[in-house]
Amino acid sequence: MADKTMPISVPSEKPVKVIKWKVKQGAFVLQGQILFLYNDSSGSNTDLKKYKATRAGTISSLKVKEGDIAEPGTVFAEIEACQHPTVMKEMCADCGADLRADDGPNRDVAVVPMVHSIPELKVSEELAQKLGRDDADRLLKDKKLVLLVDLDQTLVHTTNDNIPPNLKGVLHFFLRGPGGPGRWCHTRLRPRTKEFLESAAKNYELHVCTFGARQYAHAIADLLDPEKKFFSHRILSRDECFDARTKAANLKALFPCGDNMVCIIDDREDVWRHAANLIHVRPYSFFQSTGDINAPPPLPEEKSKLSGKNGALVSNTNQMPTLDEEPDQKEIEKEKSKEIKASDEKTVPETSEKESVKEDEQPSEDERIEEAAEPRWIETPDGQIEVEDPDDYLIYLEDILKRIHKHFYDRYEQTKSNIPDLKVIIPEVKSKVLAGASLVFSGLVPTHQRLETSRAYQVARSLGAEVTQDYTQNTTHLVAVRAGTAKVNASRRSNRASKLHVVTPEWLWTCAERWERVDERLYPLQRTGQSSSRRPPAHCSSPPPAPPPAALRRRTPSGRFMDTLNPLLSFSSDDIADMDREVEDIFNESDESSSDEESKNRGDDLDDEENPPEDRLISVENEDTEDRLLDTKDDVSSESDLDGEPRPRKRPRPSTPPSDDEPPDDDDSSWNLMGAALEREFLAQD
Amino acid sequence: MFYHISLEHEILLHPRYFGPQLLDTVKQKLYTEVEGTCTGKYGFVIAVTTIDSIGAGLIQPGQGFVVYPVKYKAIVFRPFKGEVLDAIVTQVNKVGMFAQIGPLSCFISHHSIPADMEFCPNVNPPCYKSKQEDNVIQEEDVIRLKIVGTRVDATGIFAIGTLMDDYLGLVTQ
Repeated sequence: MADKTMPISVPSEKPVKVIKWKVKQGAFVLQGQILFLYNDSSGSNTDLKKYKATRAGTISSLKVKEGDIAEPGTVFAEIEACQHPTVMKEMCADCGADLRADDGPNRDVAVVPMVHSIPELKVSEELAQKLGRDDADRLLKDKKLVLLVDLDQTLVHTTNDNIPPNLKGVLHFFLRGPGGPGRWCHTRLRPRTKEFLESAAKNYELHVCTFGARQYAHAIADLLDPEKKFFSHRILSRDECFDARTKAANLKALFPCGDNMVCIIDDREDVWRHAANLIHVRPYSFFQSTGDINAPPPLPEEKSKLSGKNGALVSNTNQMPTLDEEPDQKEIEKEKSKEIKASDEKTVPETSEKESVKEDEQPSEDERIEEAAEPRWIETPDGQIEVEDPDDYLIYLEDILKRIHKHFYDRYEQTKSNIPDLKVIIPEVKSKVLAGASLVFSGLVPTHQRLETSRAYQVARSLGAEVTQDYTQNTTHLVAVRAGTAKVNASRRSNRASKLHVVTPEWLWTCAERWERVDERLYPLQRTGQSSSRRPPAHCSSPPPAPPPAALRRRTPSGRFMDTLNPLLSFSSDDIADMDREVEDIFNESDESSSDEESKNRGDDLDDEENPPEDRLISVENEDTEDRLLDTKDDVSSESDLDGEPRPRKRPRPSTPPSDDEPPDDDDSSWNLMGAALEREFLAQD
Repeated sequence: MFYHISLEHEILLHPRYFGPQLLDTVKQKLYTEVEGTCTGKYGFVIAVTTIDSIGAGLIQPGQGFVVYPVKYKAIVFRPFKGEVLDAIVTQVNKVGMFAQIGPLSCFISHHSIPADMEFCPNVNPPCYKSKQEDNVIQEEDVIRLKIVGTRVDATGIFAIGTLMDDYLGLVTQ
C-alpha cells in the first residue's frame, strides 16, 4: 500500500448531488460512519441517501462541495487509511480493526510495547518516538531523570522460607500461584527505603525493573509505595521482559528515544550487560539462607564473566594470558582456592528444611563485609524479634543519585541545546571521587600480572585516581594488603611519610562502594596481620574502561553439569591430600615467618613481597570447607550421577600448570545461580 | 448489551452426591460453573435467573459419574461494536487509558481521546486533562465510551473504545 490515500466515489450510474457533508477535512472516521448525504441529481427521487465509509482512516481532502453535482466516477474525497499505530491484543486501538483478519502490510507496524505492565499493548515505531520525545521534554522541563530500580536485594530482600512470624520489620504477603496453591513471601525492606524513595522521587522518575513475576513485582511495589506516588504503573516484571536473562533488551522499548536520561540501580551488573549508566549497589541480604529468589538463570555465553552470584565482572586479568606468567606460577591456583571457600551455612532460626536446596549465597569476596554487616536477632520481651540491621547503603546511594542529577543538569544548563548522556555523566561523576589521588598498590596485584589489567587498578581508575607502579613525588596513598612489604617499609622511611596515607584495600573498596573519599584514618594498615581482601567485593564494579579484546578472553568450554554445580566436588583424593600437606607446611612455616615479620631484610626481596603468603590463609580455608563439602554432597550426588562422566579434575593443585581457560570465579557463581534456579524450580512445584 | 436467554449446560456429578440433596447439588453446581464465565458467542454470563429443567442423568460407563443436561435462563452481557457503555477507568498511561465495564476490559487509545485532552503524568494519579482544566479523566472516574472493536477469544472478550463522539467522555454524577 504505497499510496496510502484512497479515493471515495459513489457507485452510481447517474450523477449525484451532495446535500451535506457529515465530516470535516482532517477528521478521523471509523468504518461505517456516515460521510455525506446525497440524492439523485435528476430530481425525480428526493430521498436522501447516506454514504458510509468503507474503511477507517483520516479524511485527507474533500473534493466536492455541498450542493455540487458529481458525475459517476468522480472522486468525492480522499481518505487516508488507518495505519494501526496502536495495537492492543492484535486489534487496532484507533479504528478497532481486527488485525488477525487483516493480512495487509499494516499488520506489523506496531511493535514497541511501551507500557511497562501491559505487553499486549504495542505502538508503532513512529508513535513510540513521539511519545519518547514527549517524555524526554517533560523530564527536562521538570528537571528530572529516569531511575530504574531493581527490587530484590537492592531495595528489599524476600524469602519463601518459613521464618518466625514475629520478626520486626518483616512484611508478609501471599501470592496465589496460577492454578497452584500459591506461596507466602516474607519481605524485609532495606533500612531507610522509604526515605530513599522519597528523596529519589524528587529528582527522578522511578520505574521498577525486576525479574520477579508480575504479581510479585506489583505486591512489592504496593508495599513500597501504597499511594502509587513513586512508581505509579511503571512496573516492569519478568512477565514483560523480552529476555529471561537480561533487562537491557527492554530499554529500547521503554525509552525509544535512547536511554541517555536513564540511570539504573541494581545489584547485578550482568542483567544490564554492564551498562555504563548502572550504579552497582551492594546487595542487600537479610535472610541469610536465601539469595535473590528471582535471580535470572546465568547467561550461557557469559557464564565465564560472572563472579559471585551478584554477577560482577571477574577480573579479566585471570582470563587473560599475561606476559610474564610462568608455568609454575602458583598464584592463579591460590586465587582459585580462595574463591571456593564456601560460606558458612547459616540458617535462619526455625527455618524448616523443606526447601532442601539451600544456597550458600554470599560470594566469598563479600563475606567479610557481609559478616561485619550481619543482622543480629535479638528477642525482645514483648515477643517481637528485634533485628539489628546495620545496612546503611541507601544513605550513600541517595547521595550518589543527587550528585549525578546535579552534574547532569549543570551540564545541561551549560549547553542547553543537546541533552547530555548519563552513560557519560555517571562515569564522570564516579571519576571525581578520588580525583587527584595517586595510588600505589602493595601486595594487591600479583607480580605476574600487569598492573593495568588488575581489578584493583580498574576500580581505582574508575574512581579517578592515578595508579603508579612505584613511588613518585605525587603519590598520596599507599594501598597495602599487609605491613612489612618493601613499599610499606619504603614509605615509612620516606621523608613524605606524614603526607602519605597508608591504607588497607578496604579503603579503596569502600570508596568504590560509596562513591566518596572515605576518611583514610578509618582504614589504617595494621602492623600485624594482613588484610584479607585483595580483590574488590563483587559489587564494587567498574565500568570496564578498556575491555580486553574479546579474542583474548577464554571461556569455559565445558558445559558439564557437574562443573556448574560445585567445583569442590571435583577434587580427587590426591588433591585433598595435597591440601593437607600444604596446611601442614604452613603451620611449620608460620612459626618462622611471624618471628621475622619485622625484620628489614625481608623488604629486599621485592618480588616475593609482592606476593604475600596468601596460601597460608587459603589452605586453612580449604581445610575448613572439606567437611561442609561432604554435607552438600548428598544433595547433588544424584544429579552428578546423571552426568555419567567421571568427576572432572576441575582444580589441579599447584603442582600442575595453571590452566588459564578457567576463570576462577566461574564455578562459584554458577553454583550459586544454579542453586537459585533449583530453588525456584522447587517453589514452582508447590 | 444484556440479554435474557435460554442456555444449556451439562453438569458432571460425582456419585458421592447421590442422595436426597441431589437436585440441589446440581443446581448449586450450575451456579458455580456458569456464572462469571464468558463465551465468545453469548458473552459474559452474569446471573442464572431460572433453572427450567434438569434432564435425566446419564451414568458414564466405567466411571460412575452422572451427566445432567440442564436448561436454564441467564442474563448475559454481550458487548457489540458501536455500543455505548459506561465504564470505570482503571489505568491511565501515555498511550491511552484502560477502563472496565463490569467484567469487560476496554482500551481507549490516546488517538481516540478528544485532541484537546492531554496526558499529565506528573499528577498523582496520572490523568488526561483538557487545556482549560475543566475536564479531567483519571483513575476511578466514570466515563461513557463507544465500543469500536471487540476481540473475542474462547475465554474472554476485550474491547477497544473511543471517546470521539457526541456525549461521550466523563460522566458527571
